[in-house]
Amino acid sequence: MPHQAVSGRQVLLRARERFVDPTRRGFLVAFEGPDGSGKTTQRKLFKKWLESEGRSVVTTKWNSSDLIKPIIKTRKAVHALSPHEFSLLHAADFRHRVEHVILPALWDGKLVVADRFLFTALARDVARGLDLDWVLKLYQPLLWPDLVFYFSVSPDTSGRRVTATRTPGFYEAGADVTDVDDPVESYHRFIKRVIREYESLALIFNFITVDAERSITEQHHQIRELFREGERRPWSEWNIDAVSEWLSHSKGRA
Amino acid sequence: MSAERGTLVVVDGVNGAAVRAAARAENAAAPGTRRGGVSVWDASGVFEDLALADPGAGAPSARTLLLLYAADLAFRLRWEIRPTLAEGRTVVAASYVATAVAFGRAAGLPRAWLNDLFAFAVRPDKAHYVDAPPARAVADRSGFIEFAHDRLAARPSGPTRRQLIDRARTYMQPPGGRRLSRS
Repeated sequence: MPHQAVSGRQVLLRARERFVDPTRRGFLVAFEGPDGSGKTTQRKLFKKWLESEGRSVVTTKWNSSDLIKPIIKTRKAVHALSPHEFSLLHAADFRHRVEHVILPALWDGKLVVADRFLFTALARDVARGLDLDWVLKLYQPLLWPDLVFYFSVSPDTSGRRVTATRTPGFYEAGADVTDVDDPVESYHRFIKRVIREYESLALIFNFITVDAERSITEQHHQIRELFREGERRPWSEWNIDAVSEWLSHSKGRA
Repeated sequence: MSAERGTLVVVDGVNGAAVRAAARAENAAAPGTRRGGVSVWDASGVFEDLALADPGAGAPSARTLLLLYAADLAFRLRWEIRPTLAEGRTVVAASYVATAVAFGRAAGLPRAWLNDLFAFAVRPDKAHYVDAPPARAVADRSGFIEFAHDRLAARPSGPTRRQLIDRARTYMQPPGGRRLSRS
């Protein structure tokens, strides 16, 4: 169909025109790491600093879309999800946020800070026994962050920090796959698997690793420096498919 | 429990009510001792919940809807299809993978992505296609494609919703699948 082909090319050109221009495009930073790694604290400090520098910042958190989150929440509450269902529903939540929160903000030139990104799904789902390649494909067309900060902690530190204030939830503790009733013991077993996957992903995807055993202040200053160095990176052409597909069903932008 | 694996019969089509009726007929035609029932779309209630969502949450894209379809299918496989097959009985799925793939292709999604998405599904032993147009009355819209047709995010540079359904009907006809009816 010639009309569709032309339309598709126009969308592609429009996407490239907007995102290659460093003065117009936004910037996407992801904070990744296991529970108890302190990434949320660092994300908040980072956002405050950016805003003090006059930046317009949009934050997006894992499993937070208004459309899908309630569906996941009710099923988690009754422990009704298999690893496949868990994975697919989180991928749906992520896709909806990419289309309704992340890409619109980037299009408007804003700085998006993601508290967890698709790497969370890769680490957790593979730790649940799913195939890495299958999970990665769920997230296609892939949207790569400009920077990924990975907050590295040992399983012991993660376990100590998480269990110091609360009992881990059923899925947080991986109780659906460990067959261990005690949530603390289950968490210790599961987080070892999750961290092992994270460490592999950090190598494969070239994350910027932050030693999350260091003090909060030291980490924050390191993140500022790394961000200043990283924000001059050119836009990744890998993202063209994700942006084009989004543009093709975004009113008023295509 | 029988040592012999049962039989998976799948029925796909754009008209949800017609697909269910055809599936019930298939189930009724199975020998009594092997009859294992019908596994229907949205047994997990994911789409029922989605229908109640605040419109302000934004319309889902074709990809989002298909990820949810796959989640529902994973639920049906776990609770309805695989256990029945393990008992050596016949289970009829209304609808199955072909419906989702046809919708995805009609929406312009890559075939490879769709095939990968549903790689976890059990391969059916028999596949049927119900060639009936979608229901016009809202009350009769009981299938995935009709649901998606009503809720899919607008695509200014893509096909209209009507075109989407027509394309899905074209993509639906599986090679080797048997056509059950036409209206």
